[in-house]
Amino acid sequence: MTAPLLEVTDLRTWFATARGEIKAVDGVSFTINPGEVLGLVGESGSGKSITGFSIIGLIDEPGRIVEGSIKLEGRELTGLSASELRQIRGKTVSMVFQDPMMTLNPVLSIETQIRLALEAHEKIGADEARRRAIAALAQVRIPDPEIKVDYYPHQFSGGMRQRVAIAIALLHRPKLIICDEPTTALDVSVQAEILSEMKELVAELGTALIWISHDLAVVASLADRVAVMRYGQIVETGAALDVLTHPRHDYTKGLLDALPSRAKPGEMLARGADADAVPPPREAATHEVPPLGSPYLVIEDAVKIYQKPAGLIQSLAVRAGWAAPEPIVRAVDGVSLTLHRGEVLGLVGESGSGKSTLGRMAAGIYAPTAGTVRLNGKAVMSGGRSPVKITTRVQTIFQDPFASLNGRMRIGDIIAEGPIAHRLITRRDAPDYVGRWLAAVGLDPALSNRFPHQFSGGQRQRIAIARALAMQPDVVVCDEPVASLDVSIQAQIINLLIKLRRELDLSLIFISHDLSVVRHLCDRVAIMYRGRIVEEGGAAEIYDNPQHDYTKRLLEAVPVLPEAAE
Amino acid sequence: MLVFVLQRLWQAIVVILAMSVLVFCGVYAVGNPIDVLISPDATQDIRAAVIAQYGLDLPLWQQYLGFLGRLIQGDFGHSFVYNMPVSDLILSRLPATLELTLTAVMFASLVGIPIGIYAGYRPHSPVSRAIMAVSILGFSVPTFWFGLMLIMLFAVQCGCMPAGGRGETLDLFGVPFSFLTLDGMQHLLLPALNLALFKFSLMIRLARAGTREVMLSDTVKFARAAGLSEFTVLSRHVLRLISIPLVTVFGLELGSTLAFAVVTETIFSWPGLGKLIIDSITSLDRPVMVAYLMLVALLFIVINLVVDLAYALLDPRLRKGRA
Amino acid sequence: MRETTPLSRFLSEFSSNRTAAIAAVVVLLIVAIAILAPLVAPQDPYDLANLVLRDARRPPGYVGTQGYVHWLGTDSQGRDLLSAIIYGLRISLEMGVIAGGIAFLIGAFVGTSAAYVGGRFESLIMRIIDLQLSFPAILLAFVIAAMLGQGRYQLIMALIFAQYAYFARTAHGAASAERQKDYVEAALSVPLSHTRVVLKHILPNSLPPLIVVGTVQVASAISLEATLSFLGVGLPPTEPSLGMLIANGFQYLLSGRYWISIYPGIALILFIVSLNLVGDQIRDQLNPRLRR
Repeated sequence: MTAPLLEVTDLRTWFATARGEIKAVDGVSFTINPGEVLGLVGESGSGKSITGFSIIGLIDEPGRIVEGSIKLEGRELTGLSASELRQIRGKTVSMVFQDPMMTLNPVLSIETQIRLALEAHEKIGADEARRRAIAALAQVRIPDPEIKVDYYPHQFSGGMRQRVAIAIALLHRPKLIICDEPTTALDVSVQAEILSEMKELVAELGTALIWISHDLAVVASLADRVAVMRYGQIVETGAALDVLTHPRHDYTKGLLDALPSRAKPGEMLARGADADAVPPPREAATHEVPPLGSPYLVIEDAVKIYQKPAGLIQSLAVRAGWAAPEPIVRAVDGVSLTLHRGEVLGLVGESGSGKSTLGRMAAGIYAPTAGTVRLNGKAVMSGGRSPVKITTRVQTIFQDPFASLNGRMRIGDIIAEGPIAHRLITRRDAPDYVGRWLAAVGLDPALSNRFPHQFSGGQRQRIAIARALAMQPDVVVCDEPVASLDVSIQAQIINLLIKLRRELDLSLIFISHDLSVVRHLCDRVAIMYRGRIVEEGGAAEIYDNPQHDYTKRLLEAVPVLPEAAE
Repeated sequence: MLVFVLQRLWQAIVVILAMSVLVFCGVYAVGNPIDVLISPDATQDIRAAVIAQYGLDLPLWQQYLGFLGRLIQGDFGHSFVYNMPVSDLILSRLPATLELTLTAVMFASLVGIPIGIYAGYRPHSPVSRAIMAVSILGFSVPTFWFGLMLIMLFAVQCGCMPAGGRGETLDLFGVPFSFLTLDGMQHLLLPALNLALFKFSLMIRLARAGTREVMLSDTVKFARAAGLSEFTVLSRHVLRLISIPLVTVFGLELGSTLAFAVVTETIFSWPGLGKLIIDSITSLDRPVMVAYLMLVALLFIVINLVVDLAYALLDPRLRKGRA
Repeated sequence: MRETTPLSRFLSEFSSNRTAAIAAVVVLLIVAIAILAPLVAPQDPYDLANLVLRDARRPPGYVGTQGYVHWLGTDSQGRDLLSAIIYGLRISLEMGVIAGGIAFLIGAFVGTSAAYVGGRFESLIMRIIDLQLSFPAILLAFVIAAMLGQGRYQLIMALIFAQYAYFARTAHGAASAERQKDYVEAALSVPLSHTRVVLKHILPNSLPPLIVVGTVQVASAISLEATLSFLGVGLPPTEPSLGMLIANGFQYLLSGRYWISIYPGIALILFIVSLNLVGDQIRDQLNPRLRR
């Protein structure tokens, strides 16, 4: 048995705030051996990132390590001076961050950024630095490194940027790399590439890795050992396969059970069905509605084009051939899609596929550049130069519940505003109506005079659902409604959607990048890629027997949890 | 890039035209234009002759075209007060103003920015708090009052500095400058300090705000995680990131410093353009006012153009975008 | 959980900064004094009966012929300087608040509607605003004052014209940021009418940055007015604002009678500094990247 590379004992990192100490990390102990990959898993606020920053000595004010020891190759790191810590950072321990858009400096070339990182630990000439920079880019499989080394960050895609960040982290052959959610901001297919490359690189270089993530499946595909964190403490640690197939701690079990990929499609997830109240009756007519299963919301040849309007001089220059015209972005490029009444249609795609734009056209928020969107035969938006939405039968739930609620209104007013404006209810009935909807989404009706900032993310998403449903729609467009929520909260919201959909005979368009959530919730699935739908069909058929290459790649890229051998 | 430059030039022409219309309406059409052209004690015959000569009996738009034509030829007319061509008058006063303005702006930027970066880097240290107290004071004190205080303290009470004038000057390329002689430097110091105070405080505030935000960004965290020293982080990463807003403000402020030179020059009797325009407003010397306004408009356009080009140099995202 | 509104949360955070809290109290105090000037000031500086030439240019603490102490001395016409300052503040404040208020309304309307309408209308309006911003306020005010002549209405117009662009720029920035946010799309998806979306959703949310600009601009309007009056192109001598008082004292400064210029200046600076401190604190509170 070799000596451990890193030994963390009883680490406590607290943040002093006006409301007392926040114990972000509260007694964490673990060890890593040379070349080992440790997955550090937890939901938001569990202290997993702060643990990583504590090791590398980069805790933001007002945080500080109040207790505990961090030993790197037997040397104590806590209490080291700033310059001693700097000697270690980048040299022995380096770090990769979550969002590659934010980490690289947008106004410095890649060569400059790599050279600065090289100069931090060695004396090096310009030519040698350039040679090393090119070699570093080649190592992380960036094509044409001789050319790309002169690029600026904005000329790279997200995945390429993260590769550059990894190249910088690897420059001095560190013994340990800490990766803080490095693939969370990336698309599934890019994530899969980075994961497999990372696996090879650490094996090749013998680097130990701490992989911090909220995603159990990602960690499972990479880590030798897993540590599960909650409330600043490690609740369970062990060999990756062991922890993920035979969890001992209730919290780990709950976390695994909350995953839609481990449940039967369409069923309530294990964590937290809690809203039992029946929603108020829908007085707004449902008499003209076609029977369940017939075509309801019909999108035909929808196109959405974005182009910056050219000025006078620019138009002249383009005509004279001196300049290229402004690029045309075809966000949605001729899509026809039919939502049948009562079904849940999943719209799957990676970032930039146009799925959100299509969803917003279906919801009557954007007018299509060409093509039509009709609900039960009637247009969703009026025509003319400035089209407005004319139906209230389609409503929307947005991704980020922090952004989708107006922070200056009480939640009761947020929910009642639309119904009152469209005379579904009178101002006098509003309190009662709001209360019943709050109960239906599992919130206490007494909270209706609170403001959004007084609620958690999951509660806010419930409010957003109540707002959409209070308009008594038949169709609800859900744009990534669970993407920004923790796994256990995600399970509650999914359960709520399943319940309400059954009770109200709703038809849903469910937009998501998360294939397992879509599989769990949707009857039919449409796969979007570059503004077009490449494949469409029943959920089971597509997942079991994908036809289009893109769908196949997408499904293969999804990291899967190891199944327990029963 | 070509399109970008063309667009800017086109805008510049539009601005100059708009400005000329405004100035024409403001200075000529509002008052009685005849008063502008001849002295009040001229005879009736001369009056009529001048009206015909300058076409003042023509419709307004024809008059405007004539005005524009003379502008393009650089003919701004004669000053009543100084009885010399306005263009010569302006050119003789311009160097003094430019010297004062550039000294002030250079001082404000070269000293203000590093101090501001420090205050943003250590926002809670006592030194930073002191810097911020000074800057908020400098930001609030009206320029003219600060000028009065400077004169009172250094010229009246202590007597160690001259209270006004340019002092001894030395010619460089045939243009007199104060900063080349010791006496001139002494005369330059107080007005430059007076004019610089506001910009100085502004630069501190901007550099501090920018640094504070950038220091919390992942870019800086990542650079630190790679082991870069704090000095490298500040000098290579932070300075480059905050330079874009700073350059914008630098350009805007160069313009407004020119404008505020009016106040400083009045207080310190600095014989520059600002003093000239104040005198011409009080003595209704309209040709001078017109020329001054058009010159200022032109300067602004040049400054804005330079700032835009500097942008493209500083921000690679724009450079590629415009290519 | 105590029931908190966004306003009460804002106020409790604001008062946690002691400097800003004191500054806010000073601002309110000065405003109160200015409004209540006739009740607070020891003398009515406009009352010609109070002007005794023998009392002119007396230093602070001088006991005048009318029997009371001139705590801050007297000016060149024998006016009690403290009273003159209080009345001067009243005029300065009036100018600043009227000009700032109207500029606020015009700017907020222009900026918000440009952001909401978008397209060519937006780019045209914003081009004009940008142009005006690149032209220093003092010069604009100067030109207008020179063109329209002296007088309070001319001065107010000059100040409005010099300042509305700042409000418009800020309102435009805030409103276009808000326009992109999900809650506006949520409102459009209901659908709610454009008027309601602008008035109930976008405007209240773009108000805070406008308030910050408002404090700074009222401060700078007062400073600008003082500067213009000092240069002799602002208010007529019949309405002695602080700037005029300082200008009147300028000629006596060199002969050592410092108080005639200094005390009005200190009153002016105290007010502007306090306003700027208040604005700074609000700005810091609004910056999401600086909050924890």
